[in-house]
Amino acid sequence: MSALSGLRARLRALFRRSVTERELNTEIGFHIEQEAARYRSAGMAPDDALRRARLAFGGAESVREEHRDARGTRWIEDALADTRFGLRALLRNPVLATTAIITLALGIGANTAIFSVVNAVILRPLPFPGSDRLVKISEDNPEKHWVHQTAAPANYLSWADGVKAFDGVAAYTPGGHTTLSGEGDAVMFHNAEVSGNFFAVLGIPAIAGRTFRDEETWETGTPVAVISDRLWRSRFGSDPAIIGRTVRFDEVATQIVGVVPASFAFPSPDIDVWMPMAWNHTELQKTAYRRAHWLGVVARLRPGVTPAAADAELQTVVRQLQVEFPETNRVMGADLMPLQIFLTDSIRLPLLILLGAVVLLLLIACANVGNLLLVQALGRERESALRLTLGAGRGRLIRQALTESLLLSLIGGAAGCALGWAGTRGLVALRPAGMQAIPEVGLDWRMLAYVFGIVTASGLLFGTAPAIWRGRRTPADVLKEGGRGGSEGGRIRAWGRGLVVSEVALALLLTVGAGLLLKSFWRLGQVDPGFDPQNVLTVGIALPTARYDSAYKNALFFDQLEARARALPGVSGGAAVLLPPLSGGGWTSDYHIGGRPGDQYGTEVAHRVASPSYFRVMRVPLLAGRFFTEADRDGAPKVVLINQALARLEFAGQDPVGQQIAFERKVDSTTTWYTIVGVVGSEHQVTLAEPPQLEIFQPFDQRPSSYMTLIVRTASDPLALVPSVQRAIAELDPHVAIATLLTMDDAVRRSRATQRFIALLLLTFAVAGLILSTVGVYGVIAQLARRRTREMGIRIALGAAAGQVQWLVVHQGLKLVTWGVLLGTVAALAITRALRSVLFGVSPTDPVTFVVVPAILAAAALLASWLPAARAARTDPATTLRFE
Amino acid sequence: MAAPQNDVLRGTLELLILKTLALEPMHGWGISQRIQQFSSGVLDVNQGSLYPALQRLEVKGWIDSEWRTTENNRQAKYYRLTASGRRALGAETATWRRYVTAVESILGTA
Repeated sequence: MSALSGLRARLRALFRRSVTERELNTEIGFHIEQEAARYRSAGMAPDDALRRARLAFGGAESVREEHRDARGTRWIEDALADTRFGLRALLRNPVLATTAIITLALGIGANTAIFSVVNAVILRPLPFPGSDRLVKISEDNPEKHWVHQTAAPANYLSWADGVKAFDGVAAYTPGGHTTLSGEGDAVMFHNAEVSGNFFAVLGIPAIAGRTFRDEETWETGTPVAVISDRLWRSRFGSDPAIIGRTVRFDEVATQIVGVVPASFAFPSPDIDVWMPMAWNHTELQKTAYRRAHWLGVVARLRPGVTPAAADAELQTVVRQLQVEFPETNRVMGADLMPLQIFLTDSIRLPLLILLGAVVLLLLIACANVGNLLLVQALGRERESALRLTLGAGRGRLIRQALTESLLLSLIGGAAGCALGWAGTRGLVALRPAGMQAIPEVGLDWRMLAYVFGIVTASGLLFGTAPAIWRGRRTPADVLKEGGRGGSEGGRIRAWGRGLVVSEVALALLLTVGAGLLLKSFWRLGQVDPGFDPQNVLTVGIALPTARYDSAYKNALFFDQLEARARALPGVSGGAAVLLPPLSGGGWTSDYHIGGRPGDQYGTEVAHRVASPSYFRVMRVPLLAGRFFTEADRDGAPKVVLINQALARLEFAGQDPVGQQIAFERKVDSTTTWYTIVGVVGSEHQVTLAEPPQLEIFQPFDQRPSSYMTLIVRTASDPLALVPSVQRAIAELDPHVAIATLLTMDDAVRRSRATQRFIALLLLTFAVAGLILSTVGVYGVIAQLARRRTREMGIRIALGAAAGQVQWLVVHQGLKLVTWGVLLGTVAALAITRALRSVLFGVSPTDPVTFVVVPAILAAAALLASWLPAARAARTDPATTLRFE
Repeated sequence: MAAPQNDVLRGTLELLILKTLALEPMHGWGISQRIQQFSSGVLDVNQGSLYPALQRLEVKGWIDSEWRTTENNRQAKYYRLTASGRRALGAETATWRRYVTAVESILGTA
């Protein structure tokens, strides 16, 4: 009951505020009147009685204030009043408000955009049930410098058998191609071969039909496939009757057994067909299945098992394998990491760098707005003093000021969210093709918490100093100084100067980062890829092995295709190669050079297969010996070309031409030897940033393959040639589809894409930061110049040269900028180390960057302080003296 | 400024109000007069501070208020003790007595 009446008092106070206030006034009036009546009846004159009564009552205003406090709803009322008051204050000064809001919107917008990507890519859990228990297992080999490599099938099976901490271990091939034929045009789809338990381990059920069964890891006699929702819709009109139907993939009759949900995009989003491994038990016993490594492996931990415990068990199995199979596993290790970390590994650092950059940008924006508010606080000192004198609480004044800055940051935040939303679309569009897909970017609690957090934090950050300032000044100080005074506000100006110094330092940090990345990007552009990428079209083609079941058939097809392509109008050269440079695929092996001691061998030489004209068409130079010729065919002596990297490493001071090489670690009487017939220039096989690998080439006719890439050099735009190439393929075999299509120019661009992406964004943020901090310097110096106008007037009147007077102001700006540049440089030297792994050909403490960037920044800041100084010095002394 | 005196009173003022209202419902001015009379002028309450105290008590639910007409036909807000206010008065009085005894015994020994 009493609690209820207490609540009633509160509610009344809140919702019937004006009534409560009126009642209080009536009460006070009644009280004073009664008191006065008492004095009157004691014989006092009415006027005296009233004065005496008022005196006895005390300050009515402070009673009202205290009464409001006692209502227990004070904070809500105050917040509402402060908000109204704050909005009015902002409207009174629309230029300041707009400037502040735009500045904040930029800072918050950039943060929203970058964070939404960070959130989607790094923070949000993978779209698999219980994804925190999924781990990726990879193989490591210190001898071959393998880190996080694909696994050998036999090793995978050993782990699956030996480690009890796993609920299930699944394997997949990272991606291939398969041609669907017999349903209209032959069309190539991306496919993955997976173990039978693949979908079960990931926890993905079929939306129609079934996924694979465990036993389908092994050959069952009936080829089956699971298809994507996308393929189901586009090719089969979402027909449920597709389940159980037999179609032809790579010309093999295959039964479609299920469809998986559209959200499932593993191991990559472009995969439309999953097929079981269908391994053969006896095949798997062969050493080759421990030697060749091509599987991705994902395991699900048993509930309650830590990754560390599972890893310990895995290492036990790894050690057993090292002992049991020394030939293949002697130095083979395995490691385990959360699947999410593995998948986001390459993009994590770039994104975190960008996130750091936008936080710096936001700090600069906050410093700027803080400056604006300080200037405004100075201008409103008289207002604050007046309110203090009239009995407003100091705390209330501080709160009022904070409300204003929070309002600013809220409005700025709202505008920033809109900007950020647009920015996110831009980011997704800008994303380099080589970079991992950015999943759909949506709003969730992390996003909301981040945006709310930075909005509040920035409001407090730039608002606290002016707020405390407003509350701390005593009315006497301000009124004494007459509001324009000479010495007032020393501390606040010191704070303003501190803001400028930190702003310049932050901008420097940001710009140095951008400078380093830009230089890396430029350096990457300087790298000679080892071939001429201009006007080259590459067309990947996988022949269906069911029909192309012999080396001869494969060789025939590609020889004919090469001849047809060369004959196309606008084509200056045609060739075939297993994989074009910068594609990073292919296989590697150990090698042994003939005539060297039996225990001397090399590891990791890359293998490619090329037609004789490949090197001429790609313009890869011949450095020694000869290219392949038509004579290097099946049955002729086996020959290889080696690249310059291998020649330098193994044949320094010797002529490699004519030497023998084998691709085994231990050679014996069964070893196949190859004769080196020439040395060609090194191409960058993986990326421009990675140095060329050791490599050998075999002639296509001696080692045919069902997968080859057609290389066509054209006179003009290579993409214009695509239709005629397609026609040429269809004329040879209408059931063969194109697997990949890329110009070499695009491949080069793609190889620089990540650096370009980071450099471009960092540059944008750095330019924004530079502009903001320059504006900040300008604002503070302009304020300073204005305050010294009178002094300058006097000096000029007394005969000082305008230049001297101007120097007074510029000098102050220079001092601040110097401090900012110094601090920023020291901070940058400490921090840029974090960029090391995204830099190329540039040291994190690159001297050029560390000289040029501070110079640019100092120049901009000096200009910003020279402008107001010049203006102040130009003023007519008479005007300035009259001005006061 | 008479701030120290006010601080002492602030805690006890509410107790005095409760005690006064225990006799009969009363308006603000009446309460201030009654406190002055009872204390023979020793507790010269800053009259204005009475009203925030009344509001605090009302929010606590210890007193209740209503508008009534006085003998002189004026509108005045009358406060009266609620049931929980009466209980609170008992508890507060006991606390106050313990406090006074403690202070008294210290002063007596010194």
